[in-house]
Amino acid sequence: MKRRFICLTALLAVCSMSAMAQGIMGGHVTGSIQLDGQISHRDTIIGSQDVPQKLLSNARADILYTNGNFSAGLRYEAYLGPMLGFRPDYEGQGIANYFVSYKKENFAITAGHFYEQFGNGMSLRAYEDRYLGIDNALRGFNVMYSPLSGVILKGVIGRQRYFWLESKNIVRGLDAELSFNDIVKSWADAKTRLTIGGSFVSKYESAVNDWIPANVNGYKVNLPENVATAAVRMDLAHGGFGLKAEYAHKSQDPNDLNNYIFREGNVLWMSASYSQRGMSANIQAKRVDNMGFRSSRTEPYTEMLFINYIPAISKQHTYSFLSMYPYATQSMGEMGLQGDFMYKFKKETLLGGKYGTDIHINASLITGLDTVDAGGRGTDGYTSSFFGTGDTYYGDLSVEVAKKLSSSVKFAATYGYVVFNPITEGHAGDNHHNHVVVADLTWKMNKKNSIRFEAEWMGSDSKYDESIDDKRAGDWIMGLVEYNFAPSWFVSVSDQYAYNDGIGNYYNLSVGYTKGATRLQLGYGKQREGIICIGGVCRNVPASNGLTFSLTTSF
Amino acid sequence: MKKIIFTLALTLMGVVAMAQNAKLPENISLKTLDGKTVQSSEIKNDGKPIIISFWATWCKPCNNELDAIKEVYEEWQNETGVKLVAISIDDTRSAARVKPWVDGKDWPYEVYLDQNKDLARAMNVGADVPFSFIVDGNGEIVWQHKGYQPGAEEELIEQVRSFINK
Repeated sequence: MKRRFICLTALLAVCSMSAMAQGIMGGHVTGSIQLDGQISHRDTIIGSQDVPQKLLSNARADILYTNGNFSAGLRYEAYLGPMLGFRPDYEGQGIANYFVSYKKENFAITAGHFYEQFGNGMSLRAYEDRYLGIDNALRGFNVMYSPLSGVILKGVIGRQRYFWLESKNIVRGLDAELSFNDIVKSWADAKTRLTIGGSFVSKYESAVNDWIPANVNGYKVNLPENVATAAVRMDLAHGGFGLKAEYAHKSQDPNDLNNYIFREGNVLWMSASYSQRGMSANIQAKRVDNMGFRSSRTEPYTEMLFINYIPAISKQHTYSFLSMYPYATQSMGEMGLQGDFMYKFKKETLLGGKYGTDIHINASLITGLDTVDAGGRGTDGYTSSFFGTGDTYYGDLSVEVAKKLSSSVKFAATYGYVVFNPITEGHAGDNHHNHVVVADLTWKMNKKNSIRFEAEWMGSDSKYDESIDDKRAGDWIMGLVEYNFAPSWFVSVSDQYAYNDGIGNYYNLSVGYTKGATRLQLGYGKQREGIICIGGVCRNVPASNGLTFSLTTSF
Repeated sequence: MKKIIFTLALTLMGVVAMAQNAKLPENISLKTLDGKTVQSSEIKNDGKPIIISFWATWCKPCNNELDAIKEVYEEWQNETGVKLVAISIDDTRSAARVKPWVDGKDWPYEVYLDQNKDLARAMNVGADVPFSFIVDGNGEIVWQHKGYQPGAEEELIEQVRSFINK
């Protein structure tokens, strides 16, 4: 009897355990946590201020539960004193994002918050960038259905996140993508691949309480409550050749950004490339005309509530001085051209030497549109010729040569030239012309220890002027030494100094430790006031002076 | 009796162990470099381990890592059968540049685009790349590492070896 009881108990225990294992434990709980903090003090030269809270922090935890085709997630965020550069509206804490999702190969549905992009994002892109403080996640429903191989249909409806609130305006969209090589069986292995797509996105915003005076006395602007963007795209590949393009058109959308004009908007983006082993070339062109598409016509923060995304096409430089004056997309109007060329001189050739040599050249030019004024508020606003260009907004040229000098030493030298028009950041003034030279050397002493030296110089025709107070002005030098003990430790020391026509001396010391998916980083020093840009979307970051720390982990 | 309990205990341990490692997420759409949509479940290596490395064209350490592994990739493959799958999180600004980039660098890897970061989110990659995973022959994520420092590829292959010998 006793024996049977034990057996039964054991069996029950196993049954319940395995049931749990398949039902609840059979799924997986994973996630990530990030905790960033900052202590900053007043420094009259660089313009940093004392922080009343002493400590500022941004923290978040993403928890994801997955079980077969089902997943659910939530994110807790806490901005207990948002860090410098983040909008004060983030102050607070709570569950900022939650969703449930069911995904099969040909069908998916998500309820709650979701991120989505149609094509290249020119009609719709709901995305998040935690370092820019941008999260325009839609809350609502997102459905994907593939009726046959090579056909993907998507539909979304929702409202955008706005800090701790939600925009009251509705965003909805449809997208279809056809991949001919998957639809037509005999084309499956063809050398040429063709994919086309189209999307339609619209927003609803009540105009009942808005009264915007038109340029003509006594008239008000008749605000459309529904504004739509339609886009078509293609992606053609043939061996090493590639051609991608997207065109989007927006209906009448008088709003704060375009000063309430009725001109319709459009954007055309193209990319052509050719590549083979060790060599590639890419050219991109873009024309943007009145194409800021946001879910609120009066939103004052320039980076918030965008429904679409117009990428900057200039290269995203990684060296400090080359990215000191980053380019921000002018969604109201710009023309851009960008070219990229990469070549690898093979080993054992004249220019390749023993280990080969890499060369990377990039150039871009972005200008305004050639516009003719045609009245103000309540009119079509302006006319523009398609190929006409206006003022130069931004231009750059960079040449990078990277070479392994011996089995343990790698060296890269870069020359860059940047022309920058302050109007792209909303200030009048002359264009800046900067020359930048960078030398970057890594010496790997043995399997685990390496040391990296970086030296940069920037010569600029800009001079520091108190009335403008742009602390990037002048001629700069910089040095950096970084010691790595793989795979866990690094220590780096750097200093940037304006030696002529500028102000400021920015030193930094940082230490980092990584174990698996956990990383702790501490920094001490001064950070210049400036603009950080990711993908052409920019945010102003005030100067800081003090300690920063960042702890991240995934599990 | 002891035998029964022992068997049960083993079964239990098995169940719990099974529940420990997350699998490579399925049914997440990615794009190949010539525009074809594929599912994450199509990332396979015939029961051999896979290294999944999230990267971006604008990320220096990512490029250093993938350049460094290129030098030893053939040896790694011959020894362990491992395959490296590089997932680019470049957005529209640089996504069109990924194919020329990979060709120009002459990287021998399987590369996919994750423009909407769907796979990155499902694998808790967070905002920073590089981020590497080892997926074992059963499709389980057995190891992950954030960042890259010169020489860290040694630890990566050590880990791959240790999961093969298990």
